Amino acid sequence: MNFEVNYILKIINSLPVSLAVLIVSNILLIVGFLIGKIVLYKNENAIKFFARFSVAICTLFVIYFVSILWFSISSFFFGNSVYSVIFPVFLFLPFVIGYFASYEKVHFYTNIQILTLIISLLLALSIIQR
Amino acid sequence: MAKSLDFEFKHEKKCARAVLLFHGMTGSPYEMKKMGRALYDADFDVFCYCLPGHGTSPVNIKTVRWQDWYTDSVNHYKELIKEYKEVYLGGLCLGGVLALAIAEEYEDVRGIVSLSTTLFLDGWTIPWYNFFMPIGVCTILRYYYSFPEREPYGLKNAVLRKKIAALQKRNTEALDNYPMSCIYELLKFSKITQKNMFKVKAPILLIHAKEDDLTSTKSAKFVYKNAGSKIKEYIELENSYHLVVMDNQRDFVFKKSIDFLNNLSAYVPEKTDTFDRNNAVKESSGV
Repeated sequence: MNFEVNYILKIINSLPVSLAVLIVSNILLIVGFLIGKIVLYKNENAIKFFARFSVAICTLFVIYFVSILWFSISSFFFGNSVYSVIFPVFLFLPFVIGYFASYEKVHFYTNIQILTLIISLLLALSIIQR
Repeated sequence: MAKSLDFEFKHEKKCARAVLLFHGMTGSPYEMKKMGRALYDADFDVFCYCLPGHGTSPVNIKTVRWQDWYTDSVNHYKELIKEYKEVYLGGLCLGGVLALAIAEEYEDVRGIVSLSTTLFLDGWTIPWYNFFMPIGVCTILRYYYSFPEREPYGLKNAVLRKKIAALQKRNTEALDNYPMSCIYELLKFSKITQKNMFKVKAPILLIHAKEDDLTSTKSAKFVYKNAGSKIKEYIELENSYHLVVMDNQRDFVFKKSIDFLNNLSAYVPEKTDTFDRNNAVKESSGV
C-alpha cells in the first residue's frame, strides 16, 4: 500500500505541472458534467445551486483551457510537436459542441461533451505511460 | 405561447395609428400594459403579444431562438401594416432591440420608441463572475445555467419590487431567472442588430435609466450614434432602473413617448372623442 502511494507520488512529481493540472481538471469536469446530467438537471427549482454549480464548472473549464495551452506550448518547445497540435483541438471542441447544441438535444450533446473530455483524459494519461 | 397575457387596446372608431409594443426578456405583456393604456388614451390603437417562450414556464424559454422572437414580431407587424396607415413600434429591453431590428428591414416603420435597449449586458447588478459568461454562453453549459433574478428586480421603487417579486414566484408574468440560453440568443440577436443599425431610418426615441441595473446607457448611446435615422432623441432618466415602464418615472416615460409619436404623426387626434372605454377596449388578458 505504502509502495503504491509512493509510486503515485513519484509519478505526480515527475509530471510536468501543466499535464498534472490538465488531468485533474479533466477528471473533475467529467465528474461535474455527470453529476449535472444525472442528478442536478432533474431539479429545475434549484436555480441558485445550479448557478453556483455552473460557475464551478466554468472555473474548471478555464483551468482546463489554460492547462491545455500551457501543456501544448511546453510540448512544442520540448520537441513533442504532435501533442502541441492535438491538444489545442480540445480547446475548441466545447465551443463547437455548444454551437450545435439545442435544449431539445441537451442530453445528447452533454454526452458528446463528456466523451471528448474522456478522450482528452485518455490522451493525457497515455503520455504518463510513455 | 401564453395568449392569455396578450392585449389589444382598440378604439371603436377606425383609428389610423397603431403602436405595436414588445415586452422585455423573461417578461410578458403585463409589464407593457400601463404604457399601452396611456397610448390608447392618446388615440393610438395598441397591441402587445407574448414573445415565443415567454409567459408560461422557465423551461419553454430555453427552447426558443432569436429567430422565433423576430419572426413572430414581424408577423404581428405585417398584420398591422395591412390595417393601419401608421404603425409605430415600441419595446422594452429585448423588445427595444426587436423594434430596431424590424425597422432595419422594413422602411415603412413610422417611428420607434426604444426603452432600456439591451445591446450589452453591463448593468450594475450583473454578477462579479460575469467574465465567465463567454464560457457559459458558448458551451453546452448555457442549458444548465440561469442567472437568478434578485433585488432590485429592475425597479428603484421599493413598493413595486415586492409586487414583482411575488409575480416572479408564479413564473408566468415574469420569470425568476434569466436562463443563459436566453441570454445567448439575446446577445446573438443584439450583435446582428448592431451591425445593421445604420439601416434604421425611422425616427427613434431612446429612453434609458442612468442607473439601469441590467444594461448601462452604453446600449442607448450606441443606437443614438449609429442609427441611420435623421430624427433621434435620447432621454436619460435619473430616478429609475431597468423597468422604466413600471418604475418611479413611468408617467414621464409615457408622456415623452406620446409627445414623440404625436409629433411624428400626420394624424391629428380629435379631442371630442366620446367612446365608451369599457366597450372599446378589447382585451384578452385577465391580469
